Parts: sequence; structure tokens; C-alpha cells
Amino acid sequence: MVAGAWFCLLAPLAGALAITLAGERISRRQAGLVSTLTTFAAFGGALVAFVAMWAREGAEREQLSTAYTWLAAGDFEVGLQILVDPLSAVMMLVVSGVGGLIVWYSLGYMAGDDEERRYFAYMSLFVFSMLLLVEAGNLLLLLVGWGLVGLASYLLIGFWHHRPEAVAAAKKAFVMNAIGDATFALGLVLLVWQARTLELPAVLEEADGLSGTIVTLVALGLLGGALAKSAQLPLHTWLPDAMEGPTPVSALIHAATMVTAGVYLLVRAHPIFEAAPDVQHLAAGLGAATLLLAGLVALVQWDIKRVIAYSTMSQIGYMFLAAGIGAYGFAIFHLVTHAFFKALLFLAAGVVIHHLAGEQDIRRMGGLRAALPRTHVAFLVGTAALVGLPPLAGFWSKDAILASALASGGALGWTLFSAGLLGALLTGAYAFRLYYAVFRGPPAEVTPEPHGPEAAHEPAHGEGPLSMLVPVGALTVLSTLGGLLSVPGVWHPFTHWVSETAEALVEPSTGEDYLTSLAAVTLGLAGLWLARRAFVSGRQLVTSPGAWRALEHKLYFDELYDALFYRPAAALAGALRREVEEPVVERSLDELGAGTLELGGGVARVQSGLLRTYALAVALAVFVLVLVFVAVR
Amino acid sequence: MSGPGIGWYLIVAALLFGTGALGVMLRRSPLIVLLSLELMLNAANLTLIAFARQHGSLDGQVFALAVMAVAAAEVAIGLGLIVAMARRGLPLDVDQASSLRG
Amino acid sequence: MGEVLVWAVWLLAAGGCLGSGLAVVSLQNPFYSALALIANLASLAVLYLLLAAEFLAAAQVLVYAGAVMVMFLFVIAYLGGRADAPWAGGPPLLRAAALVAAAALLAEVVVVLGLAWGDRLAEPAEVSAAFGSPASIGELFLTDHLLAFEITSIVLLVAAVGGVVLGTARERERETR
Repeated sequence: MVAGAWFCLLAPLAGALAITLAGERISRRQAGLVSTLTTFAAFGGALVAFVAMWAREGAEREQLSTAYTWLAAGDFEVGLQILVDPLSAVMMLVVSGVGGLIVWYSLGYMAGDDEERRYFAYMSLFVFSMLLLVEAGNLLLLLVGWGLVGLASYLLIGFWHHRPEAVAAAKKAFVMNAIGDATFALGLVLLVWQARTLELPAVLEEADGLSGTIVTLVALGLLGGALAKSAQLPLHTWLPDAMEGPTPVSALIHAATMVTAGVYLLVRAHPIFEAAPDVQHLAAGLGAATLLLAGLVALVQWDIKRVIAYSTMSQIGYMFLAAGIGAYGFAIFHLVTHAFFKALLFLAAGVVIHHLAGEQDIRRMGGLRAALPRTHVAFLVGTAALVGLPPLAGFWSKDAILASALASGGALGWTLFSAGLLGALLTGAYAFRLYYAVFRGPPAEVTPEPHGPEAAHEPAHGEGPLSMLVPVGALTVLSTLGGLLSVPGVWHPFTHWVSETAEALVEPSTGEDYLTSLAAVTLGLAGLWLARRAFVSGRQLVTSPGAWRALEHKLYFDELYDALFYRPAAALAGALRREVEEPVVERSLDELGAGTLELGGGVARVQSGLLRTYALAVALAVFVLVLVFVAVR
Repeated sequence: MSGPGIGWYLIVAALLFGTGALGVMLRRSPLIVLLSLELMLNAANLTLIAFARQHGSLDGQVFALAVMAVAAAEVAIGLGLIVAMARRGLPLDVDQASSLRG
Repeated sequence: MGEVLVWAVWLLAAGGCLGSGLAVVSLQNPFYSALALIANLASLAVLYLLLAAEFLAAAQVLVYAGAVMVMFLFVIAYLGGRADAPWAGGPPLLRAAALVAAAALLAEVVVVLGLAWGDRLAEPAEVSAAFGSPASIGELFLTDHLLAFEITSIVLLVAAVGGVVLGTARERERETR
């Protein structure tokens, strides 16, 4: 079991290293194959670990394996350790499985790009980093994985580094994640100080014993990190910009895996959050707020990838909501199903973009149902799964979350429940708006020259090669059947599996489940109807110009942050440069150099070139030396 | 030993040395400088021999002989240099040979 | 009587030494300076004799005055008018400093001598008749100071080679002209 986990962790690293070291000695296609095969090998390892774990019972399913201890100070030890338990097994399977499919897809999608090798090396690096994050046996190693995925994200968002928008987006993502990393690290510092350990099973047990203030601060720190990584309010502004990266990157990092790391953290560290319930409820509240905000903004976006990005933000809001009320199993369940259908949506969108030679504006799309029949089916399945229509995956997971909100009761529970239901309506609306705009209606004119950010590759008109079709197909199947892992009232293998690690705080009754589902599906279908009506009548869903403008500007968050943080910081930096750097630092260095030169020039005048001066110098030296010798005697 | 004591010889040698040093530092003709250098060497020789007599040890005289040999070698080279300078038309003036100016 | 004679000879030789030394550094014509140096060497030879260094006195006259100075005179004669140079010059500071340096050295030596006059310079050692003879010097050269002997011969060899090199360079130069 542990061996499988280690193999799973290290296979993508080996792949990344191999591609990096081989450099130009392997062809671009070979680099892609190395990356794909190692990722699937990782999946194999994860599968082995999972099966082995299944064969065991109870506490045997959890094991901490230490490779070596990096730092030992007193009784505090930290090093390379992995924790193999039910939760990490699920995450490993998702990351390596969906990751493998997406990397395979990239073989076809990125074919023809000049820097394919770099791409695949980065992708393997990412898969390794994400696996490190989910398998980490201590919080420090988790933070290392956390940072590494941030790095991989930065590298991949800015993959087309000759595009200034991509570079800016990469920087934005990195900086915002750095804020989260900082709060996370501060939380860890507090933990080390008070709990004296960071080992995952142990530190969580210690959480109860810590004082209220400390544990609240720690929880806030962890939450800050989670908010940044998962693009939730208020650290959400980087995710739409991150769509500048290639579509498979958006699928893997910004839909299926990295952005869900925050959810994983909330579930993994649940004892800490349970000891600080205010923070946990804050997480749920922020999740709900993000859910609604993202849903609203998605209604007015024109870029196909941005719509899906806001959708991701919204769905992760659901997961935060779930984790915030203690429905850990359902949070992870939604994470898994969301990985399936969101990746599916992104990859299908990728096929569309490819087919239209880089076009991403949905106003210039339409009628692709005829041209891309299989993609159409895939996209439709993904959209329906997203909206939560039975029996597709999203239905089972999202409604379980809503039912848990209902079950938790109280003011918070009802607020969250209503927000979630409203979110279901919005989801139906924006998702089907997208579907209709892209696939239905009169076919739009296809401009022959490639344009837009993804025009870098060979235009693959049509549905693309096998390497793109098979993953899309696989994800379609998963989006259809994946939800059946937890049918309310019938069987709950998934949540039972996860609850071994994280015991849920609320359990909805079967009646609540079905009632919620009814409400949610109804609202989802209502959203569909609204979208269809708007589409047919040629209008948009949001008609008031004020609301349109506000939503178009994403509720002015970017402008707010710019005024609050960027402008003052830039002004301060400029002032420091003018007042401190130039006059003091630079000038002092210059003066140092000039002074040395002058001194040297002065001393050089001794070298007069005249023999007699030298003779004089020798005579004087002799005089002094004799004096010294006589005096010493 | 009859006659002046060793100290007197040393005074002569010192005066000779000083004279030679003045010549090296003040004169501009390289030939004169070389000659003054010889004066200084001879003054040193005198000192060595005086002390050899004082201590009754012939080591000083042996050293003085070696100094004489080295002085001969040095004069040969020095004169060679001066002639080379003259052949190239360089002015035989120590102050003008200042290419080593820093 | 013997004492007086020795003193007289000493005074003559010392005076000749110092006088010719002054002449060397102060005469304008290098030829005369070289002749003055020969006189200086001769006076020094007398002083060496007084110090029981017979072999060295002979070597001085034969090698130094006989060979080295003759070489000097040859070169001076060869150079002829080209050997003329201004007497002195240069920055006045330099001249003043030179005088000061020489005076300082002199003062130093005098002081040291004065300090040592009483005790260390009081009684010269007793020496045998063989002191300063070629035999005894030769014996020392070939036993205690063999290394110095050999190295001196190497120095002479180097000087000879150097002379040839400088001479050859001169030859080539003459051809290219």
C-alpha cells in the first residue's frame, strides 16, 4: 500500500526530470509520451495503494511512512513523509487519473507548439506537486507541495511568455497565492510553537488541547491559504485571468485539481477547524458568497473559458460550503465529480477552440452541433452534470451538499441552503447560455486565419485526433456514472470511505435528500428554461445596463484591489526609489568607486618614472630600516 | 694594530657611501650614476674588510671579493644597456627614461 | 715612528679616497669622472693593505681598476659626445630631499659608530701573518663558502651571456639601419 503511494508520488517527478534532462535529445512527441505514461503509471500506483487499502480494515488503513527526517530540533521533527489513508487515496486517484487523461489530451492539443517539451515537463512537475500536496504526511511538506503547485501554475499560465497578458496573469496568480501561502505559513508557525509537531495525524489530535485564540488564528491562517489557492472570496480575482494558459492547463490546474487543494486542506485539517467553529462557519459563508458572485458574473462573460472559470469558482464555493458545515464526505465527493465534468467541459471547449482556429468569443460561435457531433454530446453531458440534472454526477454530489446545509439547521444552515439553491438556478442559466451560444443556432462564420491566444498550434479542424477524443470520451462516461458512488438511501460507499478520515458533522436524512434534490433540479431546469428563452429571443439574461456593467467588471473587485493595494504599494516603491535608493544607496556606491579611483590616482603619482625618485625612496627606506635594526638591538 | 682604529675606516666608508648615494640621486647622466653606484659598492667593501680585520675572520674579505665580482658583472650589463640606449638614439638622460611612469 | 708613518699613509689614502669620490659625483665630463674613480680605487687599495687584506688589494687593482674601469673608459670613449648630459636638474624638491636623505644616512651611521666606538670597536683581533693571504682566502672559498663561490661564477656567466645578447641585438640593429 505504502509502496504504491510512493511510486505514485515519484513517477511524475521522474517524468519531469527525464524530460528536463533529455532536453532536445527527445522529440516533442516523445516528451509528451513520457509525461503521459508517467502520469498513468502514477495512477497505477494509486490504484495499487487503493486496492491494498481496501483489503485492510479500520485503523490499518492509515499509515504514515517517513523517508527521511530533514529537521529535528528537540522533540520537533519534520521531513519527507507521506500519509496514506482513505482521504489521500481518493485524492491520489483523482489527481493521477484525471491528470493522466488531461496530459494525454495535451498530446493532441499541444501538438505543433514550439515548446511542447517545456509544457510536458511542467505538467509532470505539476502532477508531482499536487500528489505531494495530497500525500504529505506533515503540514510542512503539504506547504511545500502547496508552493510547488503554485509555481507550476505560474509557469503554465505564463507558458506563452511572449504574450504580455499571459505574463501578467501568471504574476497575478502567483502574488495572490503568495498572500495565501503567507497566512498558511503563519498558521504553521503557531502550530509548531504550540503543538510542537506538524505530523498530520498527531498535530490534528493536538488541536483540541490548544487555546481558543491560538487555534482560531491557526485556522484563519489555513483558511487564508485555502481561499487563495481555491480562488474564493476575497482572493478570487486571479482565476479568470489564469485562463490565459493553454486549455488543458485550465482543465487540470484550474478546475480539477489545484484549485480544489483548498477544499482538501479544509477537510484534512478539520479537527483544527472544528476547534475553531467560527472560522469554519466563515469558510462556509465565504463559499456561499463566492458561489453567488461567480454565478452572477458568469452570466455576462463572452469568453468561453472565462464562463467555465467562473463556474469552477462557483462550484468550489459549494465545496467550501460543505466543508464549512462539516459535510466532509460530500465536499470531497463533489470535488471528485466536479473534477470529472469540469475537466470534460474544458477539454470539450478546447476542441471547439481548436476547431475555430483559436476563437474564444462565444459571440462568434454557434451551430457547432453539426460540425462537432461527439464534442457536442460531451459538452452537453458536462453542462447537464454541472447543473445537477439526474442521473449525472453533479446531481448526486451537489444535492447532497444542499441537503447537508438543510440538515445542519439554524440561521447559518438556512442561509447556506438558500444560497445554494439560488446558485443552482444561476448555474442552470449560465451553463445553458454557454451551451446554446456555442452549439446551437445558426453557424457563425469561421475566420480562416488563426487568432486568439490558442492559435499557436496547427489548426485541427474537426474533432481532433484520438488523443483528444478518448480522454473526452472517458470523462463523459465518468461524468455520467461517477455520481453513482453515493445514492441517498441506497448506498454510501464514498462517504463511508472518506468518513474514516473525516467524520461528517451532519448527516442529512433520506427525506431531506430527496426534497432538496427536487428543489435543486427544479431550479436548475428553470435556469435552463431562462437561458433557452433568452437565446431564442436573441436577448441576454441580464438586461439592466447598470447590472450588466457591474457584472462585467466582476463587481469591481479588481479595481478595488488596485486602489487598495497596488497603487499605494507602487507609490511607496516609487517614493523609496527616489528618496532612498538613488541618493543614498546608488550614490554611496558610486562615491565609493569614485573615491577609490581618486585615491588610486593620488597614489599613482608616486610612480613618477624617474629613476632618481626611486633611488631616493630606497635611501629613505634604508635609513628607516637601519633605525629599526639599531633600536631593536 | 697600529694606526687608526677600525672606527676611522668605517667613517671613511660611510662618507664614501653618502657621496655615492648623492651622486645616484642627483646626477642625470647614466654613466655618472653607474660610477656613483661603484662608489657605494666600494664603500661597502671597505666596511666589510674593516670588520674582517676587527673580528679576525676572513669571511668579510671573502664577501668583499664576491661583491667585487658581482659589481663587475653589473657594470658590464649596465654599460651594455647604456650603449644600447645610445645606439637607439635615446637621450642619455635618466630623467627622460620614464616609461615606467604610473 | 711606525705609528706616525701608518697615520700619514692613512690620511693620504683616506683623503685621496674622499676627494676622488667627490670628484666622481661632481665632475661634468664622464671621462674625468671615470678617471677619478680609478684614483678612488687605488686609494682604497692602499687602505685595504693597511687592513691586512693584501689579496683583496691586488684584486682591486687588477680586476676593478684594471678591467672594469678600462671597460668603462672604452664605453665612454665610444659614446663620445653622446655621453654628455646636464649636470643635474629635476624638481628642486627632489634635490633637497636627496641631500636630506644622504645627510640622514650619514648621521645615522655616525651615531651608530659613536655608540659602538667604546666597546665593540675598541680592540681589533690578533691576526697571523697569513691573514689576508691568497692561500687562506682561497681555502675559505673552496670550503666554507663554496656555495658563494659557485653562485658568483654563475652570476659572472649570466653577465657574460647578457653582454653577448645585448651585443647581438646591437648587431642586428646595425644591419636594419
